[in-house]
Amino acid sequence: MRIEKCYFCSGPVYPGHGVMFVRNDCKSFRFCRSKCVKNFKKKRNPRKTRWTKAFRKSAGKELTVDNCLEFEKRRNTPVKYNRELWDKTVQAMKKVEEIKLKRQARFIMNRLKKGKQLEKEEAINEVKKNIHLIRAPHAGKAKRMEEKMVQKLQEDVDMGDEDL
Amino acid sequence: MALYNFKKIMVVPTAKDFIDITLSKTQRKTPTVVHKHYQIHRIRQFYMRKVKFTQQSYHDRLSQILTDFPKLDDIHPFYADLMNVLYDKDHYKLALGQINIAKNLIDNVAKDYVRLMKYGDSLYRCKQLKRAALGRMCTILKRQKSSLEYLEQVRQHLSRLPSIDPSTRTLLLCGYPNVGKSSFINKVTRADVDVQPYAFTTKSLFVGHMDYRYLRWQVVDTPGILDHPLEERNTIEMQAITALAHLRSAVLYVMDLSEQCGHTLGQQAELFNGIRPLFANKPLLIVANKCDVKKISELTEENQKIFSDLVSEGIPVIESSTLTEEGVMQVKTEACDRLLAHRVDTKMKGKKVHDVLNRLHLAMPNKRDERERPPFIPEGALQRKRAMEVDQPKRKTERDIELEMGDDYVLDLQKYWDLMNSEEKQDKIPEVWEGHNIADYIDPSIMTKLEELEREEELRERAGEYDSDEDSEDEEMQEIRVLAKQIKDKKQMLIVESKEKDKHGPRMPRTATKVERKRLEKEMGALGLDMDDKDESHYALQARRSRSLVRKRKREASAPPTSRTRSQSASRPPRDKSGLRDTKMMKKAKTMMKSSQRDMNRQGKKGEADRHVFDLKPKHLLAGKRKSGTNDYR
Repeated sequence: MRIEKCYFCSGPVYPGHGVMFVRNDCKSFRFCRSKCVKNFKKKRNPRKTRWTKAFRKSAGKELTVDNCLEFEKRRNTPVKYNRELWDKTVQAMKKVEEIKLKRQARFIMNRLKKGKQLEKEEAINEVKKNIHLIRAPHAGKAKRMEEKMVQKLQEDVDMGDEDL
Repeated sequence: MALYNFKKIMVVPTAKDFIDITLSKTQRKTPTVVHKHYQIHRIRQFYMRKVKFTQQSYHDRLSQILTDFPKLDDIHPFYADLMNVLYDKDHYKLALGQINIAKNLIDNVAKDYVRLMKYGDSLYRCKQLKRAALGRMCTILKRQKSSLEYLEQVRQHLSRLPSIDPSTRTLLLCGYPNVGKSSFINKVTRADVDVQPYAFTTKSLFVGHMDYRYLRWQVVDTPGILDHPLEERNTIEMQAITALAHLRSAVLYVMDLSEQCGHTLGQQAELFNGIRPLFANKPLLIVANKCDVKKISELTEENQKIFSDLVSEGIPVIESSTLTEEGVMQVKTEACDRLLAHRVDTKMKGKKVHDVLNRLHLAMPNKRDERERPPFIPEGALQRKRAMEVDQPKRKTERDIELEMGDDYVLDLQKYWDLMNSEEKQDKIPEVWEGHNIADYIDPSIMTKLEELEREEELRERAGEYDSDEDSEDEEMQEIRVLAKQIKDKKQMLIVESKEKDKHGPRMPRTATKVERKRLEKEMGALGLDMDDKDESHYALQARRSRSLVRKRKREASAPPTSRTRSQSASRPPRDKSGLRDTKMMKKAKTMMKSSQRDMNRQGKKGEADRHVFDLKPKHLLAGKRKSGTNDYR
């Protein structure tokens, strides 16, 4: 029993799901759902259909080259069962999965960092240009002027007092 | 070759069926409609066709029967003789002859009546002629009833005859009834002949096939033969005799040592001598069967003498027991070898051999040096050969274990696995974890790789790759963000408001409209300026100095007009009050008007006749993401 990969979207095809199509040249294609089948029949290229993993990997939106991805490979020679080996493999699998997830997340975050920078600049621009929509240029000025005048008067009074 | 086509003879119908079939065929396959008023040649043609068609059908079918059934002169004499024994040659030939005669008679009848039909001058006459013709043909056939029945029986029996090839390698078993011929054939071939304690269990010839030295052999089992002269033999025995007479085979004369068949050895020996002439030119073998009960050495003197006589004449005697299977293989190999040698001899004496021999040449390579180069036979092949020759007890199969254990049996193929530790054979092997196949990760060096990876990971972590980089922005930046958000919101609000205005007509510049004082003060207040008591401000003074608004006067009942021209329009009641008695009615009329307009107004329609659809392809029904489901709904 194996979980296969969908030819179109590279998603998992669990046993009992999906469709397998065998062509006359003996190449077989597995699909996870009718959406992928219909797209395939329309002769769409998965590398150009934006929602598929094939597109994302080829367009550099996801982590492609990394050591942690080398662990999961389809092997052609079966290995005889050995309890110890299987045990170790399962434990190793779990750890590798952890690391893989971390790295994939980090990759995407790095890609999106640039957006934050742009956002920042845009905000600054916006404020510079359109601040007049929310704040009049001399919004609190009158009050400040008053306060200043009051302060000055106070000072004068103080000065006057001192003189006297 | 008519030899093996006995199964392909077509069914011979009974006379009644034959007639029915042919007549209904005539009715179906020829035109059925004819009228008095047709032209006479057309009527004649119609009926002639029917007569000829019937004749044709009969002719075809009868010819087919005649060709299908084998001619006794054309087939191998063995089959001819066998058929004679079973079906009586004379009767057979007679029956076929009758069919032939019938065929000819039918043809003649048809010819005559067709000739007569040419002189038929009315529909009625022609019809009667046709009736007569068909009637006569059918009567002819009715007379053949018994022949047809007989031929059908012959056909059925013929198709069930065993297909014996008279010219290939054959072993023929003969002897008294109940000596063990059928048991022998059951042991040696895959045939399943009935074996019973009463005599004449086997009533006809049976054929089985076996392989020896990469050749196919036929083994023919015959019914038992009793010792009386040829004329007194019955059909069953005659079959055996026929087989003996015609088949070029090795003869295995089976004798019963224990005399359980009911006949003494002396009688068996007499029978042997009696049918000896039939064994001329055939390799002969005596099978002393049932030796598990009595061996030759345990026999009486005179009986032993019989056997020693036979041996001294050069006929091999082999003891065997079909019950314990000892000696059976020996008999087989001996008989086959002898027959092969005999056949080769015959061929060598014949004329055709030289053609073949002249073309054969055995090449013997010259010896290169003194080194011996014997053929190499691998050990396994030798073992297998030995196993074939000696019937070894077969190893225990799963089926045997299943039968032994009965209900407790559980099929466990995992016990045959070849693993390093045999205790692990019954383990349940995991295949999948969280969407990943474990088989994809299996690698003997996985632990080293994992360690490397972990080391790398640690290094990366130390280098600070995974630190969250929310660089704490300074207050200024945060303030800027807040302001930017406010600006964005304000902008959107302005857009929405402007859309809501629903202005008709040309867009006037801002200065064309008057700005109300209230509005100005509100907006400026929102922007942060101080707007309380601005009564002395320039805009307030300006407003007061300009002309005060002219209020709209309420329409009151005006004084009656003085000039005449306006009186008519004044005296007529206004439209919304004409025809209504009192205020109650007026109110009702008004509500009716309003309610009938309500729906239209809600949908923004211009009037009753406005059926314009603004959006023929609404986006929310036609566009959007198709999630994992179907295209029928989004």
